[in-house]
Amino acid sequence: MRDLPSKEANLFREILKCYELKQYKRGFKGADQILKKFPEHGETLAMKGLFYNHLDKKDLAYEFVKKGIRHDMKSHICWHVFGLLYRSDKNYEEAAKCYAHALKYDKENIQILRDLSLLQMQMRNLEGYVDTRHILLELRPQNRQYWVAVAIGYQLLGKPELGVKVLTTYEETLKEVPSTPDYEHSEMLLYHNTLLEEAGDLQAALDHLDTIEKQVCDRKALKEKRAKFFLGLGRLSEAEAAYRGLLAVNPDNMAYFEGLRNSLGLGGDRPTDEDEVKILDMFKQLQKEYPRSNAAKRLPLRYATGEAFVKVADEYIRSMLRKGVPSLFVNIKTLYSDSAKETAVEKLALGYLASLDKSKGFDHSGAVVEPPTALLWTLYFLAQHYDFKRETEQALGYINRAIEHTPTLVELYMAKGRILKHAGDHVAAMGALNEARELDLQDRFINTKCTKYMLRADNMAEAEKTAVLFTRADIPNPLNDLVDMQTQWFSLEAGESNLRQNQVGRALKRFHQVDKHFNDYTEDQFDFHTYCLRKMTLRAYVSMVRLEDQLRNHPYYVRAAQNAVQCYVRLFDKPDGSESEEMEGMTEAEKKKFRSKQRKAELKAQQEAEDKKKKAAVAAAETAKKAGTPAAAVKVDEDPEGTKYTKCEDPLGEALKFLQPLQQLASDRVETHLMAFEIYVRKNKLLLALKALLKSIKIDANHATLHEQLVRFALAVQKASSAKTLKPSVKAVIDQHWSELYDAHGQDLSAFNVAFVNKNKDLGSVPHVISAAMSTYLINPSKNLGQAELLLFSVAEKGDKYKRTRTLENVLLVQKTLKGFKSSRQQEWKAKGNEWFPNAVAFQ
Amino acid sequence: MTPPAIDMSSTTTTTSTEDKPKNVGFRIGLGDITPNNLGQLKRLNTVLFPVVYAPGFYKDVLEVGEFAKIIYFNDVCVGAVCCRKEPVAGSNNEQNLYIATLGVLAPYRRLGLGSEMLKHILEQAKLSLTAAGQAKVAKVYLHVQSNNEEALEFYKKHGFENVEKCENYYSQFEVSDAYKLEKVIN
Repeated sequence: MRDLPSKEANLFREILKCYELKQYKRGFKGADQILKKFPEHGETLAMKGLFYNHLDKKDLAYEFVKKGIRHDMKSHICWHVFGLLYRSDKNYEEAAKCYAHALKYDKENIQILRDLSLLQMQMRNLEGYVDTRHILLELRPQNRQYWVAVAIGYQLLGKPELGVKVLTTYEETLKEVPSTPDYEHSEMLLYHNTLLEEAGDLQAALDHLDTIEKQVCDRKALKEKRAKFFLGLGRLSEAEAAYRGLLAVNPDNMAYFEGLRNSLGLGGDRPTDEDEVKILDMFKQLQKEYPRSNAAKRLPLRYATGEAFVKVADEYIRSMLRKGVPSLFVNIKTLYSDSAKETAVEKLALGYLASLDKSKGFDHSGAVVEPPTALLWTLYFLAQHYDFKRETEQALGYINRAIEHTPTLVELYMAKGRILKHAGDHVAAMGALNEARELDLQDRFINTKCTKYMLRADNMAEAEKTAVLFTRADIPNPLNDLVDMQTQWFSLEAGESNLRQNQVGRALKRFHQVDKHFNDYTEDQFDFHTYCLRKMTLRAYVSMVRLEDQLRNHPYYVRAAQNAVQCYVRLFDKPDGSESEEMEGMTEAEKKKFRSKQRKAELKAQQEAEDKKKKAAVAAAETAKKAGTPAAAVKVDEDPEGTKYTKCEDPLGEALKFLQPLQQLASDRVETHLMAFEIYVRKNKLLLALKALLKSIKIDANHATLHEQLVRFALAVQKASSAKTLKPSVKAVIDQHWSELYDAHGQDLSAFNVAFVNKNKDLGSVPHVISAAMSTYLINPSKNLGQAELLLFSVAEKGDKYKRTRTLENVLLVQKTLKGFKSSRQQEWKAKGNEWFPNAVAFQ
Repeated sequence: MTPPAIDMSSTTTTTSTEDKPKNVGFRIGLGDITPNNLGQLKRLNTVLFPVVYAPGFYKDVLEVGEFAKIIYFNDVCVGAVCCRKEPVAGSNNEQNLYIATLGVLAPYRRLGLGSEMLKHILEQAKLSLTAAGQAKVAKVYLHVQSNNEEALEFYKKHGFENVEKCENYYSQFEVSDAYKLEKVIN
C-alpha cells in the first residue's frame, strides 16, 4: 500500500486482515475512517468496494472498486480486488485478466499467483496452470503443495511422466522421511505411484510399491494396486495369491473375483466349455471358503450355461425365495440378455409354484415344508418375470394372487403399479403406488416412487402434496426444498409431465433448473482446488476433476437437454402455441370452442396462482418473522408459467446451448446428432445439418430416424435451390457428400425410400416402418398418404414379424404419426392398439 | 360389535421341529403400531374381519401401548392384536382388558403366531400388577362367535373360561350368539 502516513497505513493493514477474517463490517468502518482523511486513496476505495460486495451491495461494490482503480491504476491491490470481485460473480475470464494485470505490478505476489492458478484450473487452462505453478514453486521450493500442484498440472495435461519427475525431485530433497505413519505423506506416495501407472510402466510402478510400502497408510490400496500390477505384467501366480489375499479381506467385492478369475487364466466374457467347468469349480471352492459371501453364490450364474446353469440357478433362487429377498428379480433379470437363461429361470419358477401349491415345498420330494412366505415371494417373482416380458395378463394374475395371499406387503403394490404402468394405465398405476405408500408412511423410497407415478399420471397437485411430506417443513415453500436439495429426478419428471400437457414454459423452467444444478456442480469444484492440495487427497482430487470434465454426459443432463431441445423446437414451429397437439384435426368451430375453453381455464389458473402467491407471500412473511430473517430474503416466484422462456427471442439458439455440451461429451451417441439436425435444419444451416447427418451415419447408418432426416434434408436442399437461396459454395459441399447420404439414388428420393423399405423388410422393426411411412408421406403428402398408411398398417400384420418391437411406446408412435398425417384411419389403429394393450388408456 | 377372534394353534415353534417333513426355520417378531404403519393394521382388519372399524378404533389403538401389537413373520406383517382398557366400576386402580381383535392372515395360521400375541398380552397384563403408576389389569376378556370351535379351544388352552352366553351379540351375522370368555389375572 502506498502514500499513507503510518497511522493510516497500520489501519489499512488491519482492514486487509479484517477481510481475511471475514469481519466485513469492521473492515468497512476502517476503510471509511481512512477515506475521511484521504478520500482519494485508491486501494482503500477498492477495499471498500470489496466490503460492499460482501454486504450484498453489488452496484456499489463495482462502483467503488472501479473508482479505486481510477485513482491508482498501478496498484496490484486494486487489480487483485477487482479480480476477486469478478470471481465472486463467477466471471472467471475477467477475473483472470485482472489478476494478470495485478501481476504486472507485483510479479512475485504469492497470493495473486495462487488465486490466478485456481482460476486457470477451474477454466481448465492447464498450460497456464502449469506455468503459474512453476513460478510459485520457484518462489517457495520448500513447500510440498507447490511441488504436487505442478505434478497434477502435468498429469492432467496428459504428461504423467513429467509429474513423476517433479515428485521424484521433491522426494530427493527430503532429508528424512516421516518415521511415524503420516497420512499426507502416504497419499503423496500413492499419488506418485498412480502417475507411474498412468505413464504405462507397470514394472516401475510395482517396484515403487515395494519402496514405499512401509510408509503407506492405505493398506487396501496398496494390496489392490499390487494385485493389479501382477496381473498386468502377466505374473499370474503372484496375482492369484494377491487376489486371494484381497478376497480374505472382503469376499463380496466383485472386482476381486474378476481379478482372481483372470489370474487363473480363465478371463473373458464367453469362456469355453472347458473353462466354464473350471470357473464353476473355482466358485464352488470359494463358496466353501466364504459361506457368507453373496457374490460367490451369485457370480456362477453369470458364467454357467445349459444344464450347469439350471443347477446353480435352482440352488440360488431357492435360497433367495426362502429367505425372502425382495430384490431377487432385479438381480436375476440381468441374466435375461441370454434368452436360454430366461427360459430356464421361467421353467424353474413355474416348477416351484406348482410344488408349493401342492406340497408346500420347492419340489415334490416332500422332504421340506417351506414357510408360507416362500409361496409369496415366488408369486412376486413370477409377476415381475412376466411383466419383464410385457405379458400383462399373466403378470397381473400372479401379483393379484400374491396380494390375496399377503395383502400387507408393500412391495406387491409397487410391482402391481409397475405392471400397470407398463401396460399404459398411468392412473391405475398411481393408485397402486398410493396404496403401497399408505401401508408404510415413513418409507421415503415408496413416497418418492409414488410421487413419480403421480407425475407420470400428470397429477401435479397430488405429486407436490406427496413430495413435500418428506421435504423440510420449516421453510415458507416446502417445494423449494426440492430445488435446494437438487432433486433432479423430480425436475425431470415434472418437466416431462408439463410437456405432455403442453405447458412448454413450465417444462422449460424445470429443464433449465436441471441445467443450473449442473452449473452448480461445476462451480462447486472451485473450493477443492485449494482444499485437496492442502489435505493431500490427490488421487480423489484428480478423479473428481476428471469427473467434472465429463459431468454433462450424465443421463440426467442428457434427458433434460433432449427435452429442452424438443421444447424450443416446438416453440420455433408454433411460436404462439396456438396449434397444440390436441387441436390437430379439429374443425374451425371446434378450434374456436377449444380455444375459449382453454382461455377460461387459463384465467382460472391465473386467478388461482394469484391467490396462491398472495397466500404464500403472507405465509412467507410470517415464517420470516418467526425465524427473524428479513422479509426481503424470502423469494416469491414471479413467473410460475415460465413465460421468460416461451417468449424468448431465439428458441433455436437456446436449444443449441443445451446441445453443445452433448456435442462435446456425448458425440458417440447418435441422439446427439439427430437433435443437432433438428435444430440446424430449422435454422436453415444446411452445412451444419449435413455435418450432423454425416456423424449420425458414422454411428448408425441404418438408424430409423436418420432415414427420415435424410429425406427431409434432401427436401430442404431442393426447396432452397428452387428458391434460389442456396449459395453455390454451400451447394458444392453438399454435392460432394451427396452420395455418402443417398448412395447411388441421386435426386430420386422415392427410389431411396423404397430401397430403405426393402433393406429393412425382414428386420421387423416398427421404428423403421414409421420412418419409411413418414418419408413416403413427406415426399408427396397429397399423393402418397394412402401408401404411407399402408406401410404403417403393415405393422399389424399377422405373424410374429413385428411382435418384438410392437411395444406400447411404438404403437403409440404409429398413432401419433397417423394423427400427424390427419389420416382417416386413426380409429382403426386405435382399435388395433386396444386389442394388443387392453389396459392402455390411450386406446380406450 | 367385535367379531370372533381367529383360530390359532401353537404346535410349531420358531425353530424347525424334529417331525417329518422338515419345516424350514422362520423368524417371528412383535412390533409396535404407529401412525406410520396404521395402514397395515387397517388392511389386516379389512381382510380378517367382516366388520368395518370406525376411525375412533384406530385412534384408541395408538394409545394402549403394549396392548396393541403387529406380528411379523419373516419380516412380513401378517397379524395383529388390539385391546381396549375399560374401567372397573367402583375401583380407581383397577381396569379390565378387552381383546377387540386378534387375527392372523390365513396362510400363516397354525404356526403359533396367535399364541405368541396372546401370550404377550397376558404377560403385559401380569406386569401391570407390579408396575407403579399404572392401573392394574383385573381380568382379560373377549367375545367369540358361538360356532367358532377352534377359537374357543384356543382360548381355553390359554386358561380362559366361558362365563356367559350373549344371545344375539352379533346381530348382523347369521350365527348371532357369542360366548364371553375371560381370564382373571393374578
